[in-house]
Amino acid sequence: MLKEFVSELNNKIPNSKAEYIPMQEAGDDSILVQAVVISEVLGFFKNHPKFPFKVLQVISGVDYNEYFEICYMIATFDLHASHELIIKTRLTDRNEPTLNSVVDIYKSAEWQERECFDMLGIKFSNHPDLRRILCPDDWEGFPLRQDYMAAKFYNGMEINPDAKMNLEDREYIIKAVENKDELIKKALAKGL
Amino acid sequence: MSNLITNHDHHDEEEDSVESGLTFTSYMGNIYKAVASTIKGMSITLKYVLTKTPTTLEYPEVKEVLPEASRMRLYNDALNCIACNMCMISCPVNCIYITSFPRSKDLEIPKTSDGTAKRQVLVQYTIDTALCCYCGICTTVCPTECLQHSYDYEFSQYTVKQMKYDYTSEDLISWRDRIVSK
Amino acid sequence: MQIWDDKKYLIEKTSDENENPSLKSELLTVNMGPQHPATHGVLRIEIKTDSEIVAKAIPHIGYLHRCMEKHSEKIDYRGVTPFVDRLDYLGAMNMELGYILTVEKMLGTEVPRRAQYIRVLVCELQRIASHLVAFGTYVLDLGAFTPFLYAFEEREKILKFFEEISGARLLYNYIWVGGVWNDITDEQCDFLRNFCEEFEKQLEMYNELVTGNKIFFERTAHVGVFSLQDCFDFGATGPVLRGSGYKWDLRKIHPYCIYNELEFDVPVGTGDHGSTIGDCYNRYQVRMKEMVESLKMVKQILQKLPVGPFMGKAPKVIKLPKGEIFLRTEASRGEIGFHLVSKGDKTPYRLKVKSPCFTHVSMLPHVAPGQMISDFIATVGSIDIVLGEVDR
Repeated sequence: MLKEFVSELNNKIPNSKAEYIPMQEAGDDSILVQAVVISEVLGFFKNHPKFPFKVLQVISGVDYNEYFEICYMIATFDLHASHELIIKTRLTDRNEPTLNSVVDIYKSAEWQERECFDMLGIKFSNHPDLRRILCPDDWEGFPLRQDYMAAKFYNGMEINPDAKMNLEDREYIIKAVENKDELIKKALAKGL
Repeated sequence: MSNLITNHDHHDEEEDSVESGLTFTSYMGNIYKAVASTIKGMSITLKYVLTKTPTTLEYPEVKEVLPEASRMRLYNDALNCIACNMCMISCPVNCIYITSFPRSKDLEIPKTSDGTAKRQVLVQYTIDTALCCYCGICTTVCPTECLQHSYDYEFSQYTVKQMKYDYTSEDLISWRDRIVSK
Repeated sequence: MQIWDDKKYLIEKTSDENENPSLKSELLTVNMGPQHPATHGVLRIEIKTDSEIVAKAIPHIGYLHRCMEKHSEKIDYRGVTPFVDRLDYLGAMNMELGYILTVEKMLGTEVPRRAQYIRVLVCELQRIASHLVAFGTYVLDLGAFTPFLYAFEEREKILKFFEEISGARLLYNYIWVGGVWNDITDEQCDFLRNFCEEFEKQLEMYNELVTGNKIFFERTAHVGVFSLQDCFDFGATGPVLRGSGYKWDLRKIHPYCIYNELEFDVPVGTGDHGSTIGDCYNRYQVRMKEMVESLKMVKQILQKLPVGPFMGKAPKVIKLPKGEIFLRTEASRGEIGFHLVSKGDKTPYRLKVKSPCFTHVSMLPHVAPGQMISDFIATVGSIDIVLGEVDR
């Protein structure tokens, strides 16, 4: 059924260059479209004559190191013809990734896109209220990126202070190697 | 004031579809229904007051008996530990810290209670019980079953540093008789 | 100056220079703050009110964000289960089942029949326990103090059973890849049969005490109406969607585990006693009726429980093949979905959780304008949110 959708998409919206992506070794197959036409593609699926995909469930962003991949999971929620689809786009610009917002098509996209922006830094143009949702409003950095390093300080508080990281226990072996024989002797005396 | 009236008008329109206006009979009917349902509810509560025995457990004088599978504070029987590091690898929050050195071959190699040879000398075995999430994964991967859950759940301390337990120290080894069952 | 929106609700109000300078009026901003007994967790809702009527409600979440998705990229599949437990901590078995079914579908493991029956038994009991909390705390929000403790007393029996099989009362780590951790003994089955008989009488008592109460009906009927089109637009699922009259339950439409072998009904909001379909009263009724259906399922399972192993063949070190999958299951508050991307390692490459309460909280600004503050609190309680799921 996905292959029919792909051919329909390529007929109606030729700019989408829709591709059928089969499952790799296990899992689900999906449809890959170009990032520029994402609103038209989702509008096509929402108003599809045979299977109207009424609900956008979740927008999930994944950071593969060369590109960002954004997956839209849509579903028909029809009692007799229930279908699910994964539509993906790829963004290769790592400094300013932008995508068209689909809030006017699916209202549930408002909070899902805010979360995508918060976690991965993807800007959605024409979004009514694009700001951070889970992290505090003045947080720096986008946590779910693969190259994310947390800053040292946030508002004067130290993030991951050494005193609470149990460093001495983790690095006990560095000091232990120096007085190895003494420690072994003490341990043998206890019966270990 | 006008906005209040507009909003209430909207509210009244919905009510209109239920009852055509507030007549005297429907007003008295509402009062009767409210009083009758409240009295019914109060009679159930009164029945509870008069006939039901309370289910409150008067802790700490009365303590509940924990079931056998309870996952409370961890205890590692250090004398039977072979320092294989399986618990350290499988812990999802990295709260176990182990250091061990290989035993010298010229001495006799002791064995654990189920026969495995102890080729390593355990020098550090620390569990940070404030970080532990009590999931029990470490106890399932332990090959000699020296790491077990005990039944202690009242172990609050004054500082967070005191929540780190060193299982190679003598006071913790002395708990063996109470916790480990043969 | 007053600005009205198209539904004739006041959304902005400031005082003009030409008006009487000694008379000032504007919208008042009130924080239904992060610490509040009626928000069921740390949720902050900024309410702009015009006297007693809410003009705008803006929820702020993120106070319980624990970066579970980032943590799961470094932990192996078996160790992610405690993290998944802590998402919806009041309905942990359903979360575990959703995650483990996702992993098992990628691996292709076979689960023995007894293990599948035990999984469904435990999930339905967890659904009853979760709806008892929803019932007790909802009535507590509206001001009734008694049913809260009655509901929690029944819940204690379920939690006692869970402690005997898994070792913990709330965060179990019980459902593993290939089966379950421990078996169920015959004495525990007898205990459950006794519980089922007593609980039926308790459910009737709850209906007499709360559902038939005129004051409760007046506070929840026609309040917080979610129309069916709203539910589809925002992606609502679970009791919220069923309360708006749509008979959608994943256990019937795409059955997983052994749900196709059990007989149960799917309750929907029908607008009894003259209430509007989609209001708080109907959502509450759906939850009460779902408890009856779950009890039916528990009784059927206890009759049909097969004999056999409780754990199938599962690899010691779980390594999933390459690929991605998205799987939804029916949890107590809606549909929980897991989007799992695997690159063939021992740890997930990306685990995204689609949580139902996240979408339900996003529906609040749509339905809030025009309600009184007490009605707004009734609406927030009726959608039954748990912040662990919203913030992850």
